[in-house]
Amino acid sequence: MFKYILKRVGISILILLGVSFVLYTLLRCMPTDFVEAKIIALNTSGATVTEEFKQQMYKTYGLDGTIVQGYFNWLGNFCHLDFGKSFINQREVLSEVFDPGRLGTSFIVAAVATVFEFLIAIPLGITAATHQYSIRDYLVTVLVLIGISLPSFFFGQLLKDIFANKLQWFPVGQMKTAGVTMTGFEKFGDYLWHMFLPVLTVTILSIGSRMRMTRTNMLEVLNADYIRTARAKGLSERSVIYKHAFRNTLIPLVTSLAGLIPSLFSGAMITESVFDLEGIGKYALNAMTQGDIPVIMTYNMFLAALSVLGMLLSDLMYGVVDPRVKLA
Amino acid sequence: MGLSDLFKKKTEETNADSAAEEKKSSSHYLTGKEVREIAKSNQKEMRRLEKEKNRKLPPSAYTSQMKNPENILEVENLHSYFFTDQGVVKAVNGVSFDIPLNSTVGVVGESGCGKSVTSMSIMRLLQGPSGQIVEGSIRFKTVDYMRDKNGKFIPEYETDENGDVIYEEVKDKAGRTKKDKNGEPLRRPKQAKDENGLGLFKKEEVVYDIAKMPISEMYRLRGRQMAMVFQEPMTSLNPVFTIGNQLDEVTLLHVPGATKEFAKERSIQMLNMVGIAMAERVYASYPHELSGGMRQRIMIAMALAGEPRLIIADEPTTALDVTIQAQILELFNDLKKRINGSILLITHDLGVIAEMADYVVVMYAGRIIEKGTASEIFHNPCHPYTQGLQKSKPTMKSSDDRLFNIPGNVPNPVDMPDYCYFKERCGKCVKQCSGKYPEMVQLSPTHFVACHLYQPRNE
Repeated sequence: MFKYILKRVGISILILLGVSFVLYTLLRCMPTDFVEAKIIALNTSGATVTEEFKQQMYKTYGLDGTIVQGYFNWLGNFCHLDFGKSFINQREVLSEVFDPGRLGTSFIVAAVATVFEFLIAIPLGITAATHQYSIRDYLVTVLVLIGISLPSFFFGQLLKDIFANKLQWFPVGQMKTAGVTMTGFEKFGDYLWHMFLPVLTVTILSIGSRMRMTRTNMLEVLNADYIRTARAKGLSERSVIYKHAFRNTLIPLVTSLAGLIPSLFSGAMITESVFDLEGIGKYALNAMTQGDIPVIMTYNMFLAALSVLGMLLSDLMYGVVDPRVKLA
Repeated sequence: MGLSDLFKKKTEETNADSAAEEKKSSSHYLTGKEVREIAKSNQKEMRRLEKEKNRKLPPSAYTSQMKNPENILEVENLHSYFFTDQGVVKAVNGVSFDIPLNSTVGVVGESGCGKSVTSMSIMRLLQGPSGQIVEGSIRFKTVDYMRDKNGKFIPEYETDENGDVIYEEVKDKAGRTKKDKNGEPLRRPKQAKDENGLGLFKKEEVVYDIAKMPISEMYRLRGRQMAMVFQEPMTSLNPVFTIGNQLDEVTLLHVPGATKEFAKERSIQMLNMVGIAMAERVYASYPHELSGGMRQRIMIAMALAGEPRLIIADEPTTALDVTIQAQILELFNDLKKRINGSILLITHDLGVIAEMADYVVVMYAGRIIEKGTASEIFHNPCHPYTQGLQKSKPTMKSSDDRLFNIPGNVPNPVDMPDYCYFKERCGKCVKQCSGKYPEMVQLSPTHFVACHLYQPRNE
């Protein structure tokens, strides 16, 4: 087992190297160039920019060489644990990306939404499967399909308009009420109150695929011969479904859980923008549009590392939930 | 002219016929309108039957009386249909047979003739909503635990020689006698115990009509009163639970008061009984670690663990090699004697039937075409299909170099014709065969056949 994990970690490093090169190349090929944008800004403000100054700017930001040169430069710094400085505000990238406030906000919204997603989607999927082709099944399927199809900027905006602007049941944005000092339980309640709409948006949009997955797996399992055996034993329908069938449905579900790790930290870019939350997603979106290469590289490499870790974990989970799988 | 000659002649004819038939059937495909009509009527019928299956009924609505008290199971005019998009498949179409107490009834017939569907109907395991019992009754005599008003089992109390109930003092956990308000020792009737130290409960004989029983009540019968051995051992065990876990479940479910330790002990005993060496190790292993033969034996152990009075074995020995097959059949015979039960044995292996069965039922295209005692069916087969079936059995003595086979195939189960279903393949057709489906003709007190050849002539 230990040897297997070691091997997988070794492979992961190679994968991450490949990912970083592709990422860097793509970022350099982006139409938005930080330096160019800055020069245009200077031009519009009336200053004349010489060709020399432009070259100087490119050099300062390390964008003067070819892509390959630039990549190895980045990689060399990365190996020295020097992640560079943000182009935008010249702060250390590490403290910018891993800002506890930002990451925390995103993580809490994503984690709470994920918990609700599983709590709602799995029972829905099971009832839809056990009542296949009934009105209940069609109703659930249609509703979650609507959920999948709604774009987050539209649905989020809709919720914000109705519940925050019109009805004023919930605050419009931010994670806490500004200018008020609160303690303990009150603070927690305030936090929940602010979190409600973003969490609702993310949950409703993500229930669909999870529910469909549960339903499909459950249906497949319910038609299996061993379910017939379980019924023939005299087990009640309840224990047939919740013990024999569900344990098998759990195999793909549990493994997909490990794959969720990157999504917990990536932040919901659009939802955060809609609700004006200071999360990592909104921050990364901003960095992206401005061409802030060091920030985007670090952010994406962090997610890539989490994805690889999630993949390893999900393979390990397979071995735990499915006795037929032996890792070696 | 011998029988085989007749068949040969018929083969040539039917070949020509079937070619024409094929042309006709290929030109007739279902139009969109027809498909929609079928789907609509199916939907309606399936909804009705599903509702009937799930509704709550008072026990009086599904208890019944046996026609013959010597029987454990009476199947009468059973119709089990599958509602498919191509039309209604009448997989079991008016089947009636009895299983007497302490006997083995063999059901034979080729693939797709409705043997398995009959057994699934008896267990009420047809896959809904498409598979449904549409008509008929299945009366099953059970010895079930008596229940009081709250649905709890009524304990059996020990009695002395005068028939009076023996009382014992109630002890608390520390072994002290509990006292009531007046300081008198608290007494309660003493529950009788079996040899394993488990309390006994009162039992009564009840006849259930399985076809009318709500599906939620079936748990009373499955496993405890009747159990089934399925034909696919490779897929019939749950891959994520150990053998022990799956076996224990049966004991814990059906033996009142059974503890985990007792269940384990019994499971291992069951594994030993079906001839598994290293029962302890098999107990702790997962299904995928065992061979097909082992898994089949575990399926059998699982069916036997509830000590059912009726065992339905759907091709129980198909996956096993011949030496194990003999052991398993021996085991079934032993068991039948021990638990005073009956076996419904479904197979297409005539050798197994000859070895095991007391009575034989021959099915063809969803109907019974001949039934009788084993000796009647083997020594005096009357229906041309039964005769053909027996001739298709390879023997050591046979001098023919080619094995006989019945020409043609089972007819399409959708749109069955209203004449003998075997007519197209039969070498002995007479004039009446084009007429209505033949009635059952009684040849001896136990021997019945559905064939025009034996129909009493009216002239």
